[in-house]
Amino acid sequence: MSKAPHPAPLVEVRGVEKVYPGGTKVAAVRGVDLKVERGEFTALAGPSGSGKSTLLNLIGTLDRPTKGEILHSGRVVTKLGTDQLSDFRLASLGFIFQAYNLIPVLTAAENVEYPLVLRGVGAKERRDEALEALKWVGLESYADRRPDLLSGGQQQRVAVARAIVHKPSLVLADEPTANLDSKTGAALLDLMQALNKDHGVTFLFSSHDPAVLSRARRVVHLLDGELHGEETHDR
Amino acid sequence: MIRLAWRNVWRNRRRSLINAVAMSFGLAALMFGQSLMKSLQGQLIEKATGSFTGHVRIQRRDIDEPKFPDKFMTDPEPAAKLLANDPRVLVWGRRIQLTGLVSAPKMSLGALICAVEPDKEKLLTDMSGYIKEGTYLEGRPKGIVMGRKIANRLDVRLGEKVVLMAQASDGSMGAEVFRLVGIHETGSESFDGQMVWIPLKAMQDMLVRPGEANQLVARLKKLDDAVAVAADLDSRLGPGSIGALSWRDIDREIIGIQAFQDGLLTIVLGVVFAIVALGILNTQLMSLFERVREFGVLMAVGARPRWIVRLLLIESALLGLVGTLSGLALGSLLIWHFGRVGLVLPVGNAFKYFLPFPSVIYLRPSWGMHSFACATVFIVTLLATLPPALRAGRLKPSEALRHV
Repeated sequence: MSKAPHPAPLVEVRGVEKVYPGGTKVAAVRGVDLKVERGEFTALAGPSGSGKSTLLNLIGTLDRPTKGEILHSGRVVTKLGTDQLSDFRLASLGFIFQAYNLIPVLTAAENVEYPLVLRGVGAKERRDEALEALKWVGLESYADRRPDLLSGGQQQRVAVARAIVHKPSLVLADEPTANLDSKTGAALLDLMQALNKDHGVTFLFSSHDPAVLSRARRVVHLLDGELHGEETHDR
Repeated sequence: MIRLAWRNVWRNRRRSLINAVAMSFGLAALMFGQSLMKSLQGQLIEKATGSFTGHVRIQRRDIDEPKFPDKFMTDPEPAAKLLANDPRVLVWGRRIQLTGLVSAPKMSLGALICAVEPDKEKLLTDMSGYIKEGTYLEGRPKGIVMGRKIANRLDVRLGEKVVLMAQASDGSMGAEVFRLVGIHETGSESFDGQMVWIPLKAMQDMLVRPGEANQLVARLKKLDDAVAVAADLDSRLGPGSIGALSWRDIDREIIGIQAFQDGLLTIVLGVVFAIVALGILNTQLMSLFERVREFGVLMAVGARPRWIVRLLLIESALLGLVGTLSGLALGSLLIWHFGRVGLVLPVGNAFKYFLPFPSVIYLRPSWGMHSFACATVFIVTLLATLPPALRAGRLKPSEALRHV
């Protein structure tokens, strides 16, 4: 018996607006509608202040929209409670940050293990899965090194391994290559592409770097918090 | 989580060490203070009960000051039987304690006359151990022992005669000649300058009060039983003219000193706890501000807010454990050391006026109090962490991730 395909898109953003509280209330994101399907390798493009990071945070449930709603696989996540959101992120999302954001007191493998610790996975299984993820990013031999003994590129690859170790349905990456030199950045994009193609990991990432955007199969443009068209490429 | 917490504790090694050392020194000082106070109180009680008061006394109820039972029990024997038959009593004896006049050829002085049963009194109190010249009263029916100072003031030496005078039962002055057989030196002004000791029988004869006494004094097998034994005896004596008191009813000034010292200790305890709490609060707040972004990452990865709170509390508990255990070790070492060599304290000299009190205090552990101090330091550590931990738990992941 074959499984019926999931009818709902992986992510659906409906009329989302985000206004930050403060003196002058400017909407960082306005009236955004967006759908992301499984297996996409999509970039959010736009200059600084265009709302890329805000939209990624909203999709990643790290922030709540002022208006509109966000659905993941047809489930409205914008109304979930704090603990339910944590559980949702743990089950379904992976994050890669511009500044790597590894926990400095843990080794590479322990950093990668972390989502599994939160899931209550046993130590042996956790370690095996973390080493497998590190193998995918080519850092198996660096498993016991702490972040301060790794280069920026290596740290970001560990962050990628941490983002994929629990096999999330979506990996969100905010300017993942911004702190890396062009060669290392390119290698990281190679890795992300390979994970997308070979392992079916869906990536949604932001960048304003043309070299990065040129790797995406779909590029969604943002300007002043609004969608400003999109393009798809057959890569 | 414990591994992460432990590594986080030592992330800023110097800061955590300073905190643990402060906690450790605070706790050790606290234990030392508790031990000092309790040892001082213990020695004070031992000396007061062991040199004169005894643990339990039976005497007339209608006396104004329990310390000076100047009224006589005409038939103390039923009460004496109660003491003799109580298995908790180690030794007991009859006494007559009165103020009177002691006269030597050159001088007469007021004195506190204590007539005792010498063989029993030797076991009841340690006064016979303070005899520096001559002997105690056994086998000397007309012998008298007195303190060095009163002997000097009277200008009498061993073997010389003195006359004691006190009011007899018929209201006339009873008088008797005694020969000085022993001189004690306790170091206490009250004891050495005011007290004279004679055999009970001689006093009864002098006052024409055969078989009478004004107190029955008992030493128990266990000092801690004093209150219970006194209450028990008192109820068995019934509502008549004779009652039983524990040393706590007699040496009430010691209870006052104890209450004062305990109050002082509570204040010190509060100050130490406040210092520990502020230190931990400071450490955890600094740690929180340094790691806001990291908490954002943990939340993004899927950690629930309460997980972050728990992480910080575990970090604090680990630091608290290090501080408490090292404080316990250091405090125990100090108490053990000063329990062995003793601690010379001027406060001993202050008590010496009233009692034969040594100036050296030998510390003893008070494990009940020390456990309370350890537990409180540990709990205070956790409580001080609660505000920053709850604050961390309330962070919004997106804001935390933007934190620089």
